Amino acid sequence: MHNRASLGLALAIMALTAYGIFSALAWPLKAKLFPLVISIPLFLLAAAEAAWVIFGKDAPAESVEAEGIPRNIAMRRTWIAVAWALGFFVLIMLVGFLIAVPAMVFLYLRVQSNEGWLFSIVFTAAVWGLFYGLFDLLLHLPFPAGWLLSSLGLG
Amino acid sequence: MLDAFIQGLLLVVQWKAFAFMLLGIGVGFWVGLLPGLGGATTLALMLPFVYNMQPVEAFAFLLGMHSVVATTGDITSVLFGVPGEATTAAIILDGHAMAKKGEAGRALGAALGSSLVGALIGAAALALAIPIVRPLVLTFGSPELFMLAIVGLAFIASLSAEGARGMARGFLAGGLGLFLAMIGQDPQAGIARFTLDSMYLWQGLDIVPVLVGLFAIPEIVELVVRGTSIAGNVAPGSIRHGALEGVKDVFRNFWLTLRCGLIGTFIGITPGLGGSVAQWMAYGHATQSARNSEERKRFGEGDVRGVIGPGAACNSKEGGALIPTIAFGVPGSTSMAILLGGFFLLGLVPGPDMLTTHLTVTFSMVWTIVLANVITVLVCFLLLNRLTSLTAVPGHLLVPVILVLVFIGSYTSNSSYADILVTLIFGAVGYFMVIAKWPRAPLVLGLVLGKIAENYLYISVARYDAAWLKRPVVVALLIVAVAVVLYPAFQAWRGRKKASAHA
Repeated sequence: MHNRASLGLALAIMALTAYGIFSALAWPLKAKLFPLVISIPLFLLAAAEAAWVIFGKDAPAESVEAEGIPRNIAMRRTWIAVAWALGFFVLIMLVGFLIAVPAMVFLYLRVQSNEGWLFSIVFTAAVWGLFYGLFDLLLHLPFPAGWLLSSLGLG
Repeated sequence: MLDAFIQGLLLVVQWKAFAFMLLGIGVGFWVGLLPGLGGATTLALMLPFVYNMQPVEAFAFLLGMHSVVATTGDITSVLFGVPGEATTAAIILDGHAMAKKGEAGRALGAALGSSLVGALIGAAALALAIPIVRPLVLTFGSPELFMLAIVGLAFIASLSAEGARGMARGFLAGGLGLFLAMIGQDPQAGIARFTLDSMYLWQGLDIVPVLVGLFAIPEIVELVVRGTSIAGNVAPGSIRHGALEGVKDVFRNFWLTLRCGLIGTFIGITPGLGGSVAQWMAYGHATQSARNSEERKRFGEGDVRGVIGPGAACNSKEGGALIPTIAFGVPGSTSMAILLGGFFLLGLVPGPDMLTTHLTVTFSMVWTIVLANVITVLVCFLLLNRLTSLTAVPGHLLVPVILVLVFIGSYTSNSSYADILVTLIFGAVGYFMVIAKWPRAPLVLGLVLGKIAENYLYISVARYDAAWLKRPVVVALLIVAVAVVLYPAFQAWRGRKKASAHA
């Protein structure tokens, strides 16, 4: 698992630095010097790491996440965590923080944690109260209404 | 001088100034605990409130708030693996690892103890250095600042795992950080580099969303995967005893604490390097205190020295950063620039006046830093049971709360949805780095120092051509950088030699 992740990171760095080198060639010397000085050795080092993974003989190691937990369950839970994080992000963009925060907390407690209705409502209210009281009322941080509410004229 | 020193204390303990300091400490306490909501932002928010205050009251309020932010930021970093402040990320590596082993009390004790010692070192430096620091700071031009950035980058070698493979991965992570630091408008030619035609990226990547993603998202994923509390099934043990052990650890490693405190002070004094650098350099230095390769491997897995080093540096840098701000009106960081605004609001002019006419005000600042940190650490120790018991809260209750804090924390850095996207992207990068066993610290170091190094290199070359390489401080710093890079290899060689001698 960790070897595949290492290979993926090395290949990603190779792609990133190749893009960096390609882009930098079109710039004036002042702008391209540092990118080239960093990108070229980084590309070569990433290529060496990739070759190391592909041709080397590393001892297999357990991933941190899989310790004591079957790998398929660990993978499933990882995807669940990713889905909640992405879902929360989408919700924030659509309806803004003020609605997305209580919605996500409540849904997480009810759907993911199987908590009871009363506990979920009280816990959500407490988190929302803290969020609203501190960030909105006290600090006046700007939280836009979200694309959906704005487009409906509710923002 | 001694009169002014005592007068400074008496001014701070007057009821009005003391009450404002307590208010500031209260605000700073919560700001530090909340991820993303930085000390600089809060300083800016609180600045309008000082209009009608006397200078001593205003600085008691502002500095009382600012000087405790890093201390309570350590608590969030240790307990949840989420950086409470951008300047408290390094403590996660070992502090949070200790919390997961049921040693949250000890980690917090060490963090609080080292923070206090660090703050005292910074305050002492502020009190002692003002008359002598002027020539030192004035000898530092762009070549020296560039070399300081290089010394910082040299610590990548110490932050990497052992062996050629570990070193390669460390330098890959550091190189990636340097690459990411180039995103944004190039200050020399004005070219937009790697901005993907996005206005958001013109300013470059903000450190807060990157840090929050890199460290907090993998922790959230791990909490969901494990399905337990942060401390897992490990019994937390006696918390107070653990905290006491942590404090004892600070004194067992007193020289390390002192050295890291001095590193923080020095970085604080030097304008243009920023507070994030100090913690990583101190962490790198702490890893070098390992006596052999076995000890070195423990860093990142819960070595208390990895908590003490950044803890001390983080708080000592505040006293250090005040030195050029007060003495020359040269702010070393964003927070100090905002504080400088406070000086002008109150009708004070930084410079010689602060060392003569207003010397008591200057010393009142020293005392504010000392008293604010002592009070905060005492309050934290009183709350330790409650704070540490958070590591036993079931993960399924913590995850939504941490997720909310993480998203708000990254959003508030620029009030842009793109910040959250950056957090998610770097969350994925951090997750894969954890799985691949790549060190994350070098990436942060590269990101923090990349832009600084590039800017100062260009200024040095433009102003001095190649002659800047011959400046004595540059040569000295170059030697330090080489020594820092070679030290891990020397340690490994010494370890092998000892092992073969025993065999």
